[in-house]
Amino acid sequence: MFLKDYISDVYNGVASLLKGMRKTGYYFTHSKEIITEQYPDNRATLKLADRFKGEVVMPHDDNNEHTCTGCTACELACPNGTIKIITKFDITPEGKKKKAIDAFIYRLEMCTLCNLCITACPSDAIKMVPNFEHSVFDRSKLTKILNKPGSKIKEGIE
Amino acid sequence: MNVSSILFYAISAFILGAGILAVTSVKIFRAAIWLLFSLVGIAALYFWMQVEFIAAIQIVVYVGGIVVLIIFSIFLTQHSGKEMKSTPLNKKIFSALAALFGTAFVHNLIVHYDGFAFNSAEPFNANVAKIGTQMLSTTSHGFILPFEVVSMLLLAAMIGCIVIAMRPAQTTAADTNILNHKN
Amino acid sequence: MLSLESITKTTQDWLLAKFDPTIALAIECVIVILLCITLFAVLGLVLVLLERKVAARIQIRLGPNRVGPGGIFQTAADTLKLIMKEGLTPDTADKFLFNLAPFVVMMVAMLLLAPIAFAKNFQIWDINIGVLYISSVSSLSVIGILMAGWASNNKYSLLGAMRSGAQIVSYELSAGFAVLTIVVLTGSLQISEIVAAQENGWWLFKGHIPVVIAFVLYIIAVTAETNRAPFDLAEAESELTAGFHTEYSGMKFALFFLAEYINIFIVCAIGATLFLGGWMPFHIGSWEAFNHIMDYIPSSIWFMGKTFFLIFLIMWFRWTFPRLRVDQLLNLEWKYLLPISLFNLLLVTVVAIMGWHF
Repeated sequence: MFLKDYISDVYNGVASLLKGMRKTGYYFTHSKEIITEQYPDNRATLKLADRFKGEVVMPHDDNNEHTCTGCTACELACPNGTIKIITKFDITPEGKKKKAIDAFIYRLEMCTLCNLCITACPSDAIKMVPNFEHSVFDRSKLTKILNKPGSKIKEGIE
Repeated sequence: MNVSSILFYAISAFILGAGILAVTSVKIFRAAIWLLFSLVGIAALYFWMQVEFIAAIQIVVYVGGIVVLIIFSIFLTQHSGKEMKSTPLNKKIFSALAALFGTAFVHNLIVHYDGFAFNSAEPFNANVAKIGTQMLSTTSHGFILPFEVVSMLLLAAMIGCIVIAMRPAQTTAADTNILNHKN
Repeated sequence: MLSLESITKTTQDWLLAKFDPTIALAIECVIVILLCITLFAVLGLVLVLLERKVAARIQIRLGPNRVGPGGIFQTAADTLKLIMKEGLTPDTADKFLFNLAPFVVMMVAMLLLAPIAFAKNFQIWDINIGVLYISSVSSLSVIGILMAGWASNNKYSLLGAMRSGAQIVSYELSAGFAVLTIVVLTGSLQISEIVAAQENGWWLFKGHIPVVIAFVLYIIAVTAETNRAPFDLAEAESELTAGFHTEYSGMKFALFFLAEYINIFIVCAIGATLFLGGWMPFHIGSWEAFNHIMDYIPSSIWFMGKTFFLIFLIMWFRWTFPRLRVDQLLNLEWKYLLPISLFNLLLVTVVAIMGWHF
C-alpha cells in the first residue's frame, strides 16, 4: 500500500527525530552532565578519562624492578621508530648469561600515542598514563629513558 | 512640488536608470541584477500608489520568481564574469528606435485620454478581500472565467513538464531478450 | 502605566505639537530607523551568544565563559575583532556586486521588520497585506545570496549559492502554505487582525489538528529558508568551506552573519504572531478572571517570550540533527512537506467552513 508506507514513513521519521531531540533536551536541562574541565583553573582537581593516553611509562615496583625482558616487540610494533631498546647481558648468580635491557629509549616528540607498543608487549612492562603537560624548552628533554637507573628485571619473568 | 511627487520622480528615475543599465551592461549577471532593481523599483511605485497587493505580487512573481529563474539559467550556462560581445551598431539603432516608438505610442495614448484623470474625492480602496471577491465573482465584472482559463493553462504547462521530466522505462535489447526468453 | 504604546503616543503628540506633519513624519522615520538598527545590533549580540550557550549545553560543554561574567561579552569582543579586520575583496571578483551583496541581505532583513507587531499597538507599519508582504519580501533574500555567490568568482561560493537558491525557492512554498492556513482561519492578511483574532485563545490551540500540522511545517520550512542546520547545505563548512560567504571577511562577513540571525528572529516572530498569538497574552475562552491576570504581564514580554521560545526550538534542531544531502533536502520538500501542506490547506478550509475550530 503506497499511502500506508507514506504515512508510516512520516511517522517513523518524526518519531526518530523526536528521539534525538529528547536526548539533547535531556543534556540541555541537566547541567551535571557537563564534562568540560576548566583546565588551568582546576589543575588540582582535574578529572581525566580512564582511557586518556598521554605518555608511555614503565612501572617499577618497590624493589626497583620492572618486567621488561628486552624482547623488542614494542620496538618492532612502533610505526614511527619512537622506541629504541639497547640490550645487555647480565651474569646470573649461576654464571649463566641472561639478556636484559640497558636502556629503554622513548622519544615522546615522535610518539603518536597509538598504543600499539602496549598491545605488543608480552609481559605488560609498559603502559599509558594520562600525563599531558609535556611542554619543555628543549626537545632533547623529550627523549626519555624509561627504565630507572639501577633497576633490574623482576624474578621469574622470561 | 510636494514630498509625494518628489518620491515619485525619485522612484521613476531609479527604475529608468536601472533599466538602462540592464540593457547596456556587458556582463550578463549584472544585467540580470539591474533588471531586478528595475522590477523592485516598479514594486516601490505600486507601494507609492498604495496598491500594496499588486506590489507584493510584483515582488513575488517577477523578483522572487522570474529573475531568480533567469539568474539560475545564467549560472548554468555562462562563465562567471565573462564579458559579452558589444552589440553591433545596427542592432543598437534598431532597439533605440523600438524604444522610442514605444514611448511615443504610450505618450500618445496618455495625451489622447487626457492624462487618465481620476476623481480624487473618492478614496482609492483596493483591499485584498475585494480583489479576491472580484476574482471569483460570477456577476458582471467578475473575473472567474479568465481566472479559470489561466489555471487550465498552468495545469496544462505543469502536466507538460511532468511528461518531459518523466523518463520512459528503459528497455534495452538485452532486457527484451530476457523478457522473450521468460515468455 | 508605562507601556510601549503610551511612549510612542506621547512622542507622536509632542512631535505633532512642535513641527508640521511632514517634518514630524520625517523625524519619526529617523527615530524608527535608529531603533531598528539598535534592535539589530542588540539582537545580533544576544542571539549569537544564546546560540553558543545553547549549543554548548546540548553538547555537554560550558560554552564561552571567559569574557565578562559567564562570557556575556564574548560576542561584543567578537564584533570588535570583526570590525578591526580587513574587508578583503578578491582580485577577480565582480567588485561592485561583491560589496553590494551583504547590504542587499541586510536591507531585506530590515524591510521584513516593518509589519511585525512587537507589542500592543506597537508596530512600524500595519500594512493590510501583512503576511503576504512578509512572504514576498523574504523571497528577495535569495537574491543577495546568489549575488554574493556569483560575484565571489569562487566555485565553492557558486555551488553554495545554487544550493541556497534551490532550497529557498522550494521551501518558500510550504512556508507559504503554512501561513495560508492561518489566513484561512482569520480571513485577513493584516497582522493586527490576525493577532486580534486570537484574543480568546491562540490559533495553535483553537485550530487544533490542521494548525498543529501547519505549525510543524512552518518551523521546518523556515529553518530551511534561513539556511540553518540541518538544512545548511548552502554554507556547509565541511563541504563548501562556508559556501556563499567563503570570500567574505571582516565587517562584510559580519553583515551576512548578522542577517542570518536577524532572519531567524523575524521568522520566529512571525511564527509567534501567527500560531502563538503575537503579543496577545495567554487567554482561555471565557475565563474572565484568568484572562485578566494574564493581562498584567506586558504584551512586549509575551511577544519576546514566544519569539525566543521558537528561536530556542530552532537552535535545538540545529544542534540535534545532522545535515541533509541535497537530494534528501529536495525529496523532503517535494515529496513530503508540499503534499502534506496542500492536504492540510484543504483540511483547514473544511474546518473553517464547517466552523469546527473554537
